[in-house]
Amino acid sequence: MGKVRVEGLKKSFGANQVLKGIDMQVQEGEVVCVIGPSGSGKSTFLRCLNRLEDITEGTVIVDNFDINDPKTDINKVRENIGMVFQHFNLFPHFSVLKNIMFAPMELGKQSAEEARSTALRLLEQVGLKDKADAYPSMLSGGQKQRVAIARALAMNPDIMLFDEPTSALDPEMVGEVLGVMNDLAHKGMTMVIVTHEMGFAREVADRVIFMDGGYIVEEGTPEQVFGSPKNERTISFLEKVL
Amino acid sequence: MRKLRTFMFIMSLVCLCLAGMPYLTTAVHAEPASVKTYQIGTDVTFAPFEFEDENGKFVGIDMDLMDAIAKDQNFKYVIKPLGFNAAVQALEANQVDGVIAGMSITDERKAKFDFSEPYFDSGVVMAVRKGQNEVKSYDDLKGKKVAVKTGTEGYRFAESISAKIGFTIVPFDDSAQMYEDVKTGNSVACFDDFPVLAYGVNQNNGLEIVTPKEKGASYGFAVSKGKNQELLQKFNAGLANLKASGEYDKITAKYLGENAAGPANQSRIGLMLSSLPSLLKGLGYTVMYAIISLFFAFILGLIFGFMKVGRNKWLRGIATVFVDLFRGIPLIVLAFFIYFGIPQAFGFTMPLFLAVILTLSLNAGAYVTEIIRGGIQSIDRGQMEAARSLGLPYRKAMTKIIIPQAIRIMIPAFINQLVITLKDTSILSVIGLVELTQSGKIVIARTFASFDIWLEVAILYLIVITVLTKISSRLERKVTRHG
Repeated sequence: MGKVRVEGLKKSFGANQVLKGIDMQVQEGEVVCVIGPSGSGKSTFLRCLNRLEDITEGTVIVDNFDINDPKTDINKVRENIGMVFQHFNLFPHFSVLKNIMFAPMELGKQSAEEARSTALRLLEQVGLKDKADAYPSMLSGGQKQRVAIARALAMNPDIMLFDEPTSALDPEMVGEVLGVMNDLAHKGMTMVIVTHEMGFAREVADRVIFMDGGYIVEEGTPEQVFGSPKNERTISFLEKVL
Repeated sequence: MRKLRTFMFIMSLVCLCLAGMPYLTTAVHAEPASVKTYQIGTDVTFAPFEFEDENGKFVGIDMDLMDAIAKDQNFKYVIKPLGFNAAVQALEANQVDGVIAGMSITDERKAKFDFSEPYFDSGVVMAVRKGQNEVKSYDDLKGKKVAVKTGTEGYRFAESISAKIGFTIVPFDDSAQMYEDVKTGNSVACFDDFPVLAYGVNQNNGLEIVTPKEKGASYGFAVSKGKNQELLQKFNAGLANLKASGEYDKITAKYLGENAAGPANQSRIGLMLSSLPSLLKGLGYTVMYAIISLFFAFILGLIFGFMKVGRNKWLRGIATVFVDLFRGIPLIVLAFFIYFGIPQAFGFTMPLFLAVILTLSLNAGAYVTEIIRGGIQSIDRGQMEAARSLGLPYRKAMTKIIIPQAIRIMIPAFINQLVITLKDTSILSVIGLVELTQSGKIVIARTFASFDIWLEVAILYLIVITVLTKISSRLERKVTRHG
């Protein structure tokens, strides 16, 4: 039984159909990287997994909850799905520490002391312990994204979703964020990562999914997809980016 | 720390409102305490019949007569200086029980009001700027402009001869403005009732009377047709007693006789200083009404603002109608509608302070709604998504993440609205609110010192608005230190 099960997923924005029928599964502890040209529906697909987008057709099941069932408490399900955004989306009016402590405290998951020690531990894990009292506007892009990862981890999720986490970063900061993600993968976190970092995908992913035009065109191990791609569109995409 | 600052801000607003309360309670006390107290509407600036003296007390022939008659007939009354047109409308809307405002008894008015016995025989005269030789008679007015006060006998007379002679009528709402227009040369002459003009000339208003008195109508005290007949009878009986006792002659002589008081000998600075207390009192009302109204406007804005950003299309529709309606109606029309229109249609009396707060709150509420909607929608969508992806419910995400950020963006717009509402309060003088602008008008009606008093009024507005703006931007800097 997969941790994430997607069957016949379709998503339209008005007349524009972005996802045209996606079937896939993610197993516990698996790291899945989703690659593909822009406009292929990768991000929309990821956002359907925690219902930031309502789906048009099909089912998405996470942790055995049908997340589009009106009876499902989506907030409870989301507590177990961490998400990291391209543009970090840190809360600018909170300090770094408060950004991380906020949700666990507000949702009654942790007491103030617990939340504080969790936050400090996570900051240490992402290498930003000295920035606890800083405000987001004082951080670099790479630091912001590492805080955002810590914030998502503070809820102690089973699954982490990454939506192009390094696309908005200056090149010299990409490494520090990928390093944190790499650590996380090695600790056994279930991860779905939409990314343009082919080297990272090759190194860290258990499975790579290539999307184009609203479909999954090809999937397999990094060796299969990067080493001997079968589909023509995969081949032409990889030629361009590698 | 931030919570403490927000708390301090709210507390200081509450304190400001409380500081204004004494004014509000006096305003409430002026409303009928018992059924025996009559509300009498009058003009604001119609010397020598009604005007404010240096001590801020309404005096004049009408006021003294009313006082003497009330004593003679043993009834209580409160004077409501509304301005002539507003007083007449208030009588029609039953907002007041009677009007004494040097009102001529005409057939047209008799259709709507019941008049007392005439208490003063008037007549229209023409006045021109003192010392000019151009206009000596009606015929000299050809092709010129003539200032008149709306709704008066002077207006009626000017209208009756304007076509024949060929001059243009420039209408004004009060005598002081009409005199100014002649003094500054915009109009060459004005028509007004003889006692009014004679008194003005006596006070050095800069005009001189150049025609004999036209035979005109007489002044009467008015009540709504068929209503308050006992008040009318008391007025008639009292008037007869005063005439018999000779007190009536004493009252008219006090203002029009040989020994009537001339203008007070005061320097310009002295005049400005002596006007200051009544202007400051007006300013107090301006600030108080602006702050109370903004408080309610803020509540309205919160309700409708959230309806506008919400997902329910019915609530969104209601909020849109609210904004379109109250942003689309000019403040002055809204004030008339609320103070005169609604009470007339539904047959009840609307207290002035309520009408003022309603008008300003609804108008500012529409703008605050838009400020709040704009503020919330200006926050990046990613903030809501990040909060929701952590498992926070919509309401929590809104109150803890979106709104605190939106407020920082809204603050400059709120400061702007505070300044606008503060200034808009002056528009409410049309329904008789004695705030800073109206206080200025009243002082000018007595002193004819337009330049000095308007300068003083303008400076007072500037001081208050500058101070409030400075306080607000300090607050803004504190709140937006991060982010």
